[in-house]
Amino acid sequence: MNNPILRVINLVAAVAAAGAMLYVAFIGAAPLPALGPAFNPSTGAWTMAADSAGLGNQTLHLAGLQEPVRIMLEHDGTAHVVALSDHDLFLAVGYLHARFRLFQMDLLRRTGEGRLSEVVGKAALDNDRFELQLGLLRTAQLEWSQAGATSRMALTAYAQGVNDRIDEAKRLHQLPAMFILLGYEPQPWTPIDTAIVKGDMTQTLNFTDTPLVMRLLAKTLGVDLTSKWFPVLPPNPQSPYDPGPYPSAHAPAAVTSMATITDAQTASDLALYQRLASLPPGSIATGGASNNWAVAAAKSTSGGALLAGDPHLHLTLPAIWFQLTEDSPGYHTSGVSIPGTPVVLIGHNQHIAWSLTDAQNQQTFFYDEQEDAAHPGQYFWQGGWHAYKTVSYDIPVLHGPTEHLTVKLSAHGPVISQRGLTTSVWWSGNLPSQDLDVVLRIGQASDFKAFSDALRDWHAPTHNFVYADDKGNIGLISAGYYPQVAHGQPWLPMPGTGEDDVTGTVPYADIPQIYDPPGNIVWSANQRQVGADYPYYIGTASNFFDPGYRANEIRRVLSEDRQFAATDMMALQTDTRDFLASEITPLLVQALSTDQLTTAEQKARDILTNWDYRMEVDSTAASVWWTFWQAYLSQTFDPWWRAQRVKVNKQEVIDTLGQDLEAWTLGDTSNAAYTPPGAARQTANDVMRKAFHAAFATLNAELGPDPGSWTWGTIHTRTLQNLAQISALDYGPRSDRGDAYTPLAAGDFPSTHGPSWRMVVDWGTHTFNAIYPGGQSENPASAWYVDRVDTWWNGLYAPMLSADKAASSSGGATWRLNP
Amino acid sequence: METEPVIGERWFVPAALVAGAICGTGVVLGAWWLTFLAGVALGVLTRARVAIPAGSVAGLLGWGLPLAWEQWRYGIGPAAHTLASIMGITQGGAVGPVALTCLVGLLLGLTGAWLGVAARSVLFSGQSDVAIGGLRFR
Repeated sequence: MNNPILRVINLVAAVAAAGAMLYVAFIGAAPLPALGPAFNPSTGAWTMAADSAGLGNQTLHLAGLQEPVRIMLEHDGTAHVVALSDHDLFLAVGYLHARFRLFQMDLLRRTGEGRLSEVVGKAALDNDRFELQLGLLRTAQLEWSQAGATSRMALTAYAQGVNDRIDEAKRLHQLPAMFILLGYEPQPWTPIDTAIVKGDMTQTLNFTDTPLVMRLLAKTLGVDLTSKWFPVLPPNPQSPYDPGPYPSAHAPAAVTSMATITDAQTASDLALYQRLASLPPGSIATGGASNNWAVAAAKSTSGGALLAGDPHLHLTLPAIWFQLTEDSPGYHTSGVSIPGTPVVLIGHNQHIAWSLTDAQNQQTFFYDEQEDAAHPGQYFWQGGWHAYKTVSYDIPVLHGPTEHLTVKLSAHGPVISQRGLTTSVWWSGNLPSQDLDVVLRIGQASDFKAFSDALRDWHAPTHNFVYADDKGNIGLISAGYYPQVAHGQPWLPMPGTGEDDVTGTVPYADIPQIYDPPGNIVWSANQRQVGADYPYYIGTASNFFDPGYRANEIRRVLSEDRQFAATDMMALQTDTRDFLASEITPLLVQALSTDQLTTAEQKARDILTNWDYRMEVDSTAASVWWTFWQAYLSQTFDPWWRAQRVKVNKQEVIDTLGQDLEAWTLGDTSNAAYTPPGAARQTANDVMRKAFHAAFATLNAELGPDPGSWTWGTIHTRTLQNLAQISALDYGPRSDRGDAYTPLAAGDFPSTHGPSWRMVVDWGTHTFNAIYPGGQSENPASAWYVDRVDTWWNGLYAPMLSADKAASSSGGATWRLNP
Repeated sequence: METEPVIGERWFVPAALVAGAICGTGVVLGAWWLTFLAGVALGVLTRARVAIPAGSVAGLLGWGLPLAWEQWRYGIGPAAHTLASIMGITQGGAVGPVALTCLVGLLLGLTGAWLGVAARSVLFSGQSDVAIGGLRFR
């Protein structure tokens, strides 16, 4: 190439090609990450391959350990940590969590701290803004500053263990692949991060928008209908576990005295409602679905108390749970922990076992702050004008400018909307709650008194803690704050002027609880825990207790006049009998007996007639029933929604509407709700017949003309969703049994929530069995990513071994951690 | 006047192997960008007809052999499937990430060598005798 011009052109082309290559290698080109570090075979994402071969015996050195620690890993990765001091125990658990779940932990803390945008870009910005407004970070900082000595020790040691692993992973190029692909490294873990993870769970389980929903309903559906259809007390028959007698105090008021709702309030509510609805799943608690129960020794075939617990949560890969046992001088617990926290949250020790369900009482209250132009930056409260406190945050945004956010705080809490009206929120989750200390004390409890004493300090989220001990005793305590307002209508946003402020909580002695009841059973499934004469306000039917079908079914089975074994507990956890279907189906069949049906419709009816009400994969009746019930809801309520132009998504209040429909079908068949505005008068039977025809038409169109082929598994599937929202790494969708109302909960299509952990304890035989869907590792290339799914799917369990038994089990490994 | 490096075609194999060793060492140590620098060096020190293929081969070896080593130690099938899932590669499955990894190495070496050759031809044109380090160019 002798031509100088060609040489220069060649150089320019080479520079351009090299520049482009180096750019994609160093920086990346969306959607590709920086190709150089990401695909480096020795230090990039390929290092995840190391987990696929399993983990053998190892000797490791961890900074901060005081004595050697031994970790036995079973063949499925269940970990048994044996330490000579409590400090070393929590340090080793921190290391263990980070070894298997570091990216999940980082994601959890970033979500709560409002720092997702820093690694994923502006798509997460509104979520970050919301989290910083809501205040998980402020609460976590407060909790850490107020933590007691034991909690401080546990949190500090745990953080040290996590940081030991982060340092090791960086040094050995073993950071989880998602860090490499997203192009960032985890910051050191702090005790505040652990409090944030706890805050995430509190938000998911207890932060609700129902007062906004109620006011929008009252404005658009009308005060009269809202009062009737969304009452304080459930309209349908339920099974409170604590039947009383209750202390005497003020009785709850009916939801009949709603104030006049202004257009400005409605516009503000709607804006905030829509904003909350746009947040990622889990930001707002929208309902619960967990079970737990216990059977006293007197009703057990083994002679010891039985306990069963299956908390229902978003089913993700990796799962929210990490299974382990913790053995040290102070602790001997076995069960599941949440990565990011150092304790066994659900499990057992040597004397007691416990499990949780969400209590569902109202812990979120909205306030309309009174402002005027003459007092900028102030709000009117308790007779005077007060300046908002402010807190400022910088939100780093990947590939964008840093966002500056100022959060205003009134006496009630953070301002979360200023669209039209200024709305602040009082939320129990914003009050410091030393939950870690409580769980540590539960782990050391050996009787109900110690268990109950520990729970006295649990504030949020409110949970139903079921209990069974090795002496044959059982109990249930719905621990946490039950906020009480001095005056006003807490089911709606309230005036922020002071008269309607939260003034306290139900005294601990008066909260729902029971110990060794005469029936020898206790149960909770997110239902309202108490009966109609409970004297305190704890929330409305729509805010946000479960409709009660699972609780009814569980009580029905446990109330049978027989004794139970652990296998019965397992069978009940995977029970697919739909209690609502058992009530309504006979009435539907009866209503159809006088109807004109085609031959195919008669076949569909006959299928229902002979049904055992179980939502099994091969059941055709299950498909007919569920499609009918949805059609029945639509036929009844859609005309009202259209006529009144209701601004609330009907699906958000469908459980309450379902309770109404159930109650009317069972005992008020000519309720005015069956006759929408402008229509001829209808009864329950009329609407049920229409709904059946509509359901038949739907199934005929979607599944073909033969009702015999309409199996539930054809339309009902379940998916375990990858936590990083990479759908190709999901498990499923796969046909599955159950529905939203069966003890084996599987709502939605596909179902993405359900039993996140199933545990059955038999103190008579000292056997402990459990399973969760997923695996111990967050690494999709690991053998421990989805290895437990089939066992869980098939309703089977794995024994929860002690550390000693684990040491002698085959197929595992032992890690020796030395100072 | 064309500058001509002293390293000619007969040194192709040794040059590619040495450069490949440098690339591989860089990869193992996390200095993946050494692949590009090795290509540049080849471009400067060897004829174009040697530098371009040798740089490509060196990059391919430097990235492909460590990947083969991972395969031999652990098996990279699950990791490859995972990476394909993350990248949204629905066709070809595990082959995609493997091919992409090898391609990154190859292109780093190739573009480095091309840049080296082009730079030399411009920077040293007109000079009859150029010394870089211990090598002399005519």
